[in-house]
Amino acid sequence: MATLPETRRVLTDRRAILTLRQAHYRWLIALAVACGAIVVFFPFFWMAVTSLKTAPEIQRVPLQIAPDHWLNLTNYFEVFKREPFLRYLLNSTVVASIAAVSSVVVSSLAGFGFAKYHFPGRDVLFLAVVGILMVPFQSVVVPLYVWMNDLGLLDTYAGIVAPDLVSVFGVFLMRQAIETIPNDYIDAARVDGASELKIFLTVVLPSVKPAIATLLIIKFMWSWNEFFWPMVVISSREMKVVTMGLMSFTNMYFIEYNLLTAAAVLSILPILVIFITLQRWVVQAVVMSGLKG
Amino acid sequence: MRRWLRIAFPKTQFDRRNRAGFLFVLPALLFFGFVFILPLAQSIAYSFYKLPPGGERQFVGLRLYEKVFTDSTFWTAIQNTIQLLIFSVPATVILALAVAIGLNGIIHLKWRNVWASMYFLPFATSLVAAALIWQWIYDPVYGFLNYLLSMVGIPPQKWLQSLFQVRPAIAAVSVWVRIGFDTMIFLAALQSIPGEYYEAARMDGANAVQRLRYITLPLLNPQIIMVCILELIFNFKIFDQVYATTQGGPAGASQTIIMLLYDTAFKYFRFGDASVMAVFVFVTLMVVTLLQWRLFRKPVEY
Amino acid sequence: MKRAGRWTLVIVAAMMLAATIPGASFAQQKKLVLWTHWDQNPDFNKWYADKGKEFAKKTGYEVEVVTIPYQGYEAKYLAALMAKSSAPDMFMGMTHQWCGQYDFCDKMPADLAKLYDENLPKYMVEVGKWKGVRYGIPIEHGNFQQMYINVDMFKKAGLNPDDPPKTFDVWLADMKKLTIPDPKGGDPTQVGFAIRSKGAPVGITDKFLPFAHAWGARMLSPDLDKATGYANSPQMVAALTFFGDLVNKDKVASLAFGNPEDAFGQKRAAVIFRESWFFGWVKKNAPDVNFKVYALPCEKTCPGAGALFPWTDLVYKNSPNKQMAWEFFRFISNAKDDLEHHQIQGILPVWTVNLDTPYVKSRPDYQSTKDMLAQPVPPTYFHPKSNELATAFGDAVVGVLFGKGQPKPLLDEAAAKMDRILKD
Repeated sequence: MATLPETRRVLTDRRAILTLRQAHYRWLIALAVACGAIVVFFPFFWMAVTSLKTAPEIQRVPLQIAPDHWLNLTNYFEVFKREPFLRYLLNSTVVASIAAVSSVVVSSLAGFGFAKYHFPGRDVLFLAVVGILMVPFQSVVVPLYVWMNDLGLLDTYAGIVAPDLVSVFGVFLMRQAIETIPNDYIDAARVDGASELKIFLTVVLPSVKPAIATLLIIKFMWSWNEFFWPMVVISSREMKVVTMGLMSFTNMYFIEYNLLTAAAVLSILPILVIFITLQRWVVQAVVMSGLKG
Repeated sequence: MRRWLRIAFPKTQFDRRNRAGFLFVLPALLFFGFVFILPLAQSIAYSFYKLPPGGERQFVGLRLYEKVFTDSTFWTAIQNTIQLLIFSVPATVILALAVAIGLNGIIHLKWRNVWASMYFLPFATSLVAAALIWQWIYDPVYGFLNYLLSMVGIPPQKWLQSLFQVRPAIAAVSVWVRIGFDTMIFLAALQSIPGEYYEAARMDGANAVQRLRYITLPLLNPQIIMVCILELIFNFKIFDQVYATTQGGPAGASQTIIMLLYDTAFKYFRFGDASVMAVFVFVTLMVVTLLQWRLFRKPVEY
Repeated sequence: MKRAGRWTLVIVAAMMLAATIPGASFAQQKKLVLWTHWDQNPDFNKWYADKGKEFAKKTGYEVEVVTIPYQGYEAKYLAALMAKSSAPDMFMGMTHQWCGQYDFCDKMPADLAKLYDENLPKYMVEVGKWKGVRYGIPIEHGNFQQMYINVDMFKKAGLNPDDPPKTFDVWLADMKKLTIPDPKGGDPTQVGFAIRSKGAPVGITDKFLPFAHAWGARMLSPDLDKATGYANSPQMVAALTFFGDLVNKDKVASLAFGNPEDAFGQKRAAVIFRESWFFGWVKKNAPDVNFKVYALPCEKTCPGAGALFPWTDLVYKNSPNKQMAWEFFRFISNAKDDLEHHQIQGILPVWTVNLDTPYVKSRPDYQSTKDMLAQPVPPTYFHPKSNELATAFGDAVVGVLFGKGQPKPLLDEAAAKMDRILKD
């Protein structure tokens, strides 16, 4: 890979320019960031630790951080025994993936349209799109359900993902990102005789890769964590998603924290994997585009 | 009207281009129209009707609006929501900005990814699971927070049980969940700022604070506005966390407007009243967003 | 870049294909669908399906049970029942809401209704009825509060755990003995009574009502059409004053203890008023708590077995299978099945004759349940707007607990609000 040695050289040059005081500041900032990250991470650690405790252990007073047995995986086994959690994970993955990809496609198209074109009513329409965010979902859920029922989409992947197919945030983000593309690039492509669609595919999309990756990750996660709509539209056990699986360890009277935390840990793992892989791609894309510019 | 005709029947190259632009936007518009606008319109229509037990709808004009707007519970819910907003929105935006700038300054990519992932992790949990875990951390008797405080001699606090601490406590959960999301947006934007701008500024003798004020923040202005608007809307509509934990308690201190809307629609079966609240939420957010948009938007040259 | 493009297309195509996969498999088997949100009783819910297999041998119809998460179930029920074609054939809910506020329920056939009227305990006969007509089958007995005491804590305080307080005056004296105040004046380290102070006001009303009924008060008029004069009657004020004083004056209960169940399980509270499912929770989560169950103490009168949320099984009015649904309910409406159904989950059976079976006799709440049922039947509030009324009333109770005001003015306010709700 020809790019890597160049990257390293750029980094060492920057480091050579730094004075000692600047290095100190950098250290302090890095430390602050690290401490903040640990504080933010702590509830997860707490959650993971709780998933290794039995119910009586959790109730114990005074508080005890470590579980009695560090490798006590009974809660995890219980989770799988009670619910077909693997199936839930699969369902969530399918739904979230469709939502993410669909969002990226439609949002980037719409973002391009809003950012670089001047058709009548553009600003009003954009405001209307943003206005969607302000509609409380609870007030549209019943009409939407009846509509899904009429289309025969209840209890299907299509039905679960329907309200999630386009994201207002996605349109917002894409518009923001595409606005920063210098108009010269687009005009140059037009001069070369490219159609608008070709411009979109060859000029616009490659320039906003970080935004696309961000949107993919965020939309995937957002869809993964949806509870209310899936709960309303799903009735059969096989179609349940992970969030519903989590809620099956809470009920009217009490919360089974030992099982809930185990299920929560299970539901975060896939997201972690996706995030880590996509994050690397974001960085790579940025580094490569930085060198090109 | 003439302009629309030119979109449908383009005469010039310019018109053809604008038509393409409109077509790009169309799929999103159609989707939102069907999934959200139509049900919203239906909801607005409902706000003028009353549904008595087991009976047919009756048209009552603005009476429901009058009823809801003179109900003290409604205004308490609005008050609670605004307080929550004040606690969570500025904190989220400022902290996210600080963290993004801090992360951007870290040179070791591997470490940056590790810390960034940790900040982003709360966003990966569902709101309900997050709320339940935090409820437990806040527990007055065996929650971790009071345990920590007891180690420095502070007596146990009531947190979610206290009339005054419940709102900041819930706001803290919202900040925790959302900070990674906003950090990511800021980070992506920061990484798009060409390094040359900073080099040029450094050569002109600008120090770190000046670079922040004159380069970073102005260039990040669109993202900051976007994040502010999104956080405001998101926190105004706060529901899942409250529903899963305090359910509006203690004594209604944490009842938000959307919680009241849900209860009114599904527990009290008063759809007309709930529709009035929905219309109120929509209009308020629209007005506030417009204000934010117009007042703070500054065009930036590229 | 080209390879990535091709792969993206493949993935997108695969997803489009996945989206068209129909959800639940097309069942050739005819079946009745039952929805329930009683998610903490999975064995109870599964029994319907098991029984359904037997039923299928006779009629060809199986029973499919769908458990809806409790959180948000109202929205799901409403959406489905309004959409008609995807609605369940049978569902579990409160009769006065789904049959009173809405018109979603089918009337129970007369012979079945008579059967239930004859076999239910006295206080339960009204459960499942709306305006005198029976729509639903009560499924929960023991939905009334009883007194759980921590035997060891009683002994330590010098009280006899086999001789529980029978009036609230004696009860209060005992609570005082069981409370260990904090010498520094902060929250006590141990309280006598685990009080419910958090969560939605409806639940708090539910927990306060035994006190109200013990003082002879009632939340609404007997016709359920008026609140002023009842919700703010002198008896109600007295009951609420006593209740509030537990926290504010006598300090035998504390708001700092979070969940009352947890407080009892951690041996920080000696007494809790809870329903019969609670001892299952204690056995599982706090197995080292040595407890006994007794009937609630009395004051002017005895609280009796009352329930604010009586759950019933109902049949959907617009179901194409409603005749078959009633057939299924006929099939399981007998003493033997009732006993088996409830025993499998460890809860109390509903039929009177089953209350003296060996299973029930072996439960720690056997005697206390008998004692509670012997008490006069308390007022019920099966009104379509019961949620909203209980919330308004609960605001007053919570207000007193948190020191936001005095009982009389808060109750006056609540009563006025409830009347507005009733009139609307």
